[in-house]
Amino acid sequence: MAATAVTVGRLLRLRAAGAEGHWRRLRGAGLLRGFLQPASADGDAAQRRQVAHFTFQPDPEPLEYGQTQKMNLFQAVTSALDNSLAKDPTAVIFGEDVAFGGVFRCTVGLRDKYGKDRVFNTPLCEQGIVGFGIGIAVTGATAIAEIQFADYIFPAFDQIVNEAAKYRYRSGDLFNCGSLTIRSPWGCVGHGALYHSQSPEAFFAHCPGIKVVIPRSPFQAKGLLLSCIEDKNPCIFFEPKILYRAAVEQVPIEPYNIPLSQAEVIQEGSDVTLVAWGTQVHVVREVASMAHEKLGVSCEVIDLRTIIPWDVDTVCKSVIKTGRLLVSHEAPLTGGFASEISSTVQEECFLNLEAPISRVCGYDTPFPHIFEQFYIPDKWKCYDALRKMINY
Amino acid sequence: MAVAAAAARVWGSSRGLGRVGLLLRRPGARGLARSHPQRQQQHFSSLDDKPQFPGASAEFIDKLEFIQPNVISGIPIYRVMDRQGQIINPSEDPHLPQEKVLKFYKTMTLLNTMDRILYESQRQGRISFYMTNYGEEGTHVGSAAALDSTDLVFGQYREAGVLMYRNYPLELFMAQCYGNVSDLGKGRQMPVHYGCRERHFVTISSPLATQIPQAVGAAYAAKRANANRVIICYFGEGAASEGDAHAGFNFAATLECPIIFFCRNNGYAISTPTSEQYRGDGIAARGPGYGILSIRVDGNDVFAVYNATKEARRRAVAENQPFLIEAMTYRIGHHSTSDDSSAYRSVDEVNYWDKQDHPISRLRHYLQSCGWWDDEQEKAWRKQSRKKVMEAFEQAERKLKPSPSLLFSDVYQEMPTQLRKQQESLARHLQAYGEHYPLDHFEK
Repeated sequence: MAATAVTVGRLLRLRAAGAEGHWRRLRGAGLLRGFLQPASADGDAAQRRQVAHFTFQPDPEPLEYGQTQKMNLFQAVTSALDNSLAKDPTAVIFGEDVAFGGVFRCTVGLRDKYGKDRVFNTPLCEQGIVGFGIGIAVTGATAIAEIQFADYIFPAFDQIVNEAAKYRYRSGDLFNCGSLTIRSPWGCVGHGALYHSQSPEAFFAHCPGIKVVIPRSPFQAKGLLLSCIEDKNPCIFFEPKILYRAAVEQVPIEPYNIPLSQAEVIQEGSDVTLVAWGTQVHVVREVASMAHEKLGVSCEVIDLRTIIPWDVDTVCKSVIKTGRLLVSHEAPLTGGFASEISSTVQEECFLNLEAPISRVCGYDTPFPHIFEQFYIPDKWKCYDALRKMINY
Repeated sequence: MAVAAAAARVWGSSRGLGRVGLLLRRPGARGLARSHPQRQQQHFSSLDDKPQFPGASAEFIDKLEFIQPNVISGIPIYRVMDRQGQIINPSEDPHLPQEKVLKFYKTMTLLNTMDRILYESQRQGRISFYMTNYGEEGTHVGSAAALDSTDLVFGQYREAGVLMYRNYPLELFMAQCYGNVSDLGKGRQMPVHYGCRERHFVTISSPLATQIPQAVGAAYAAKRANANRVIICYFGEGAASEGDAHAGFNFAATLECPIIFFCRNNGYAISTPTSEQYRGDGIAARGPGYGILSIRVDGNDVFAVYNATKEARRRAVAENQPFLIEAMTYRIGHHSTSDDSSAYRSVDEVNYWDKQDHPISRLRHYLQSCGWWDDEQEKAWRKQSRKKVMEAFEQAERKLKPSPSLLFSDVYQEMPTQLRKQQESLARHLQAYGEHYPLDHFEK
């Protein structure tokens, strides 16, 4: 598991370095000189590894939280964790490989700064990591657990669903593990395949007692993560790994909170409501531009941010206005969280709907490797679904 | 084949080398020198031919030998009293004061009495479910007595005696079983899922072994807080098969946590005997595999349990390391009211333990030989304890159940909007259809 994670990390760094840098390194080694041609010299799109399916749109610099600094998403996470450990002497961070900085560099520098009793590795055991985290939280201390990839959260499913989520309820509020937060890299990354690309939020959406939160950007990530850590309920915070380096914007250095269970209307519109979370927010944002340009359609774009408990009111208010709803996520269609949104919206806004609610999601398959570009709900699929809704 | 496989492991991939050649070659530099005198040897900077592997601290051996698990002559069982309650080795007698030993006895017998009455109440349809503790009272009381009252307890479900030793009142045991308005758990769980914040007893949950890694986390937090607190985690030998047990043991050792793992090995996991639960030497033998100090004790000897727990507690807190105590005992009762154990074990077997090796009888013999108890006191106490239990029982039965609105609270610390809507929906439903629901038994 760890070896693959390092490979993925390395691949992400290579992607950031650019195709030229990659080939420069190989030429320097002398082994492949004259044998392999750099992809860019070829010009054949089919041979090139694909470019990202989205364009990250930074939000304007936030002015109300003091001094800001340019941060990417993993740096924003580090900043949130740094703030948390500074403020809360009981807070500890643990998981596989967090001590040296983590396979995605989210915990770099924290062990040196706060000590090895506060930032430490655990054995390779997700059910242990979460169970251990619950126990820390039961004593009232703050537990920040890392699951290396969301794809590996399943061994901890019993501890999350049967224990963490139910701790307060089953004890009549004598005990709780509200100070537990689980963080995990989430979503497609271009080459992650079955076990480094999953978006498992739907499994947890069905579990009363926990909160599931997914940020779209560095600024959102820090504020939402801080809210999860301070929230008095166990939270799962999924971090879109493809955004760790790709998303860069100005982020406040000081701590700040973004409220949970509040969706954000990031662009107002009148004809269609587009709902997404995480990376997909940037996809649907682009779809909104395409719709405006090509169809003269005005889209309202909503970032759901918290999956459960979700902000029904904001979404319904928007659909009452627009009459059309498109929900999009990478996770497979059947049983995906778009089903829940669709079902609730049609209950609450039936007479306002001008067209059936559209879901543009991953196919009902495991997440494939070489076929990723075909699998993901990209802007063309979303655009096409939107067009059909408009013409319904 | 095993030899070739072992040799292949030493030499790496056997492709291209031939199996026969592998069988003849011996591992180690000396072997190489003999077969290929002209090949240059690569020397490490150390002149010693010692293993350098980060994964184990051990010497080389050139004899192929598998370690034999020892199950015929397993880890010995520590005891203080014989089956007749006589001290075997006086230096092991904890010399506890009369008052304390009487408390042991009264706790175990009161628990036994409560078990009889509540088991019967389930048979009569008064409560929905019950689990007795017959035969294991010694494991509860001996260990509870060795702890500080603020040491945090994570249990499985058969540790009511620990709570009872901490003076959890009969009224609250009954309230939880009846799910009435006095239940601190607000009626949410099946009977015997006790919890008490005041007495540092974490609420029981049904999934097995989930408490084990949690207890380790709590111990880690206690260590960081310099709380001078030990965490004790109870579980049965069946639960010890769960992955969570392995996770808990490994984490406790690697993260150096002040925790006592207390395994009640009572011979059965519902109908599954230990021969179908494990093939090694019980649970105690697993401890050393994790680097954990371990002991096996006679769980029906309350002083043995006491001594082992006391020493484990002292060292766990002083040295910040885990201890594993496997208390051998026997589950005299059925697994629960949903079980009839005559389906899988003989009455004779059960009777042996009930009559010949029972923690309560052994302690009574000890008390009597000290002159601290006699038949008259026994008779009086039986009458008194039964009266106490019956009174609490009758009161618990008369009380109302909590308001149905409590179905919705404590899911989160605050009630989410959507859940409040569902709560309102039920309220409206009951207004219209209330006659079909037993609302008279519930508070408004």
